[in-house]
Amino acid sequence: MLDAIDKQLLKAVADLEQIPQGAYNIRKNGQLESRKVTANINIVANARKSGIDITVAPGTVNESIHIPVILNKANLLDIVENRFFIGENSDVTIVAGCGIHCGSDKPEGHAGIHEFYLEKGSRIRYVEKHYAAGPGSGKRTLNPVTKVYLAENAHVEMDLVQIGGVDKAERKNEAELGPGSSMLITEKVMTDGKQRAVSNNKIILRGKGSRAELISRSVIKGSSKQDFFGSIDAYAQSYGHLECDAIIMDKGTNETVPALRSFHPDAELTHEAAIGKIANAQLMKLMSLGLEYDEAVSRIIQGFLQ
Amino acid sequence: MLTIKDLVYSVSELKDDGTEKRKEIIRGVDFTFVQGKFYAVTGPNGSGKTTLSKLIMGIYKPDSGRIVFDGQELTGLSISERARLGIAFSFQHPARFKGMSFRSLLGIAAGTDDEKVLHRILLRVGLCSFDFLDKEVGSKLSGGEIKKVELATTIARNPRLAIFDEPDTGIDLWTIGPMVELLQKEQHENGTTTIVISHNEKFLRAADEVILLKNGKVAHVGSFDNTLPMLKDIDLCSWGEHCLEETDARCYR
Repeated sequence: MLDAIDKQLLKAVADLEQIPQGAYNIRKNGQLESRKVTANINIVANARKSGIDITVAPGTVNESIHIPVILNKANLLDIVENRFFIGENSDVTIVAGCGIHCGSDKPEGHAGIHEFYLEKGSRIRYVEKHYAAGPGSGKRTLNPVTKVYLAENAHVEMDLVQIGGVDKAERKNEAELGPGSSMLITEKVMTDGKQRAVSNNKIILRGKGSRAELISRSVIKGSSKQDFFGSIDAYAQSYGHLECDAIIMDKGTNETVPALRSFHPDAELTHEAAIGKIANAQLMKLMSLGLEYDEAVSRIIQGFLQ
Repeated sequence: MLTIKDLVYSVSELKDDGTEKRKEIIRGVDFTFVQGKFYAVTGPNGSGKTTLSKLIMGIYKPDSGRIVFDGQELTGLSISERARLGIAFSFQHPARFKGMSFRSLLGIAAGTDDEKVLHRILLRVGLCSFDFLDKEVGSKLSGGEIKKVELATTIARNPRLAIFDEPDTGIDLWTIGPMVELLQKEQHENGTTTIVISHNEKFLRAADEVILLKNGKVAHVGSFDNTLPMLKDIDLCSWGEHCLEETDARCYR
């Protein structure tokens, strides 16, 4: 049964107020809570650390899959390996996410390892939100891994968000793109206090005409630290762009290391990276529109993470 | 409606020997702006035009002197407080906001996110495409577009006093005429007291009064026609102190 705290976590990580439409798999404290499959989307347990295999039939369009994970059990470090097999020419939305509620001084954590295999011409939108809350002082850890393999003309859009409350996060994103395929990853992370977040990204442009764009936005408050490592390796005529921006508030620190490697003469790779405080010109502008200093800061951050 | 009394503002400057000295940018300005009039402030580079306007908005704090707006002393009031009293400022180089849509920015300016109100503002400033609202006010906007955003957010405030710092920067020549007309329309229909800082003749011609600043002081006030000879004669060179003499080869004019 889902209690009030579970529902609050589900709302935060998956925008769910009720049982979702379409296929879903809700996992609570390392166990299956509930599951529903549809005619086109099948979900079965796999042999890998109690994970699931999700299979989307070719040509499935306008369907969604919700696979939220919630945790509120002290000392539980839940690791799960899920695989997604996306059939040819399908177009689906996958909403993942993990919410931790920590009520004690004991640690709690989750590592969701997700592998995506996109067949020819398939498209997915993948939304993943991470959030932790609760009165306990136990360390909340989230170490997600996503690996994406795109066949010809497949397309993936990933929105990866860490909203707040996570003490330690180490993310790993890997992608390999086939001919004509494309991906857009947007990662937004906000840390505060003594939190620590690291994001490692490796994109390989293998096929001719493949395109990848990775946008990272970091807001670093308190004495927290966020590091971003991103690389794009091109082995074909392809296009890749990395954009990483970090806003430092208070005493936060940041390391941003973008890397571009071209192994093909017709590859076009670019990057933009910036670390800094909120620009004075932005604050002046919003204050000249009547906002107080603190409101101006909050609107700028809100926009930046939009 | 706005009275400036003996306003002085200086900045510290490093001398060649490494010591600091104060340099006065505004050196005792006195002026009274009348409700509903259109003023153009002009003058050579470095004469203090932008500084004076930023002192009115509260972006800079004066060393001494007073600024009184509708009978209220502005000294000690923040930018936000001045904005809420009805002063709006249009920046020469507008800030860009990563991730923020024009809709959000205009919503902050107008104090509402009501679609109908925002559409009315767009029509009022001559931005006919409502799709523009969903554009990001980021680095992808052209110089002309960001200036239109700036203009729209200023007018959306329905200010009693609107200050425009070089509104024609980055705007193509064909757009300046309509922009002048827009500011005049706002002046006539809403009684907005308008101060435009500009070198552009179109703005100077539109003004009820042209204020000529030189070396941090008001050098002349008058209509465009009687200011024109002064503008032609005035030494527009800002390298004066580096200049040895009129014919010196180092002259950058």
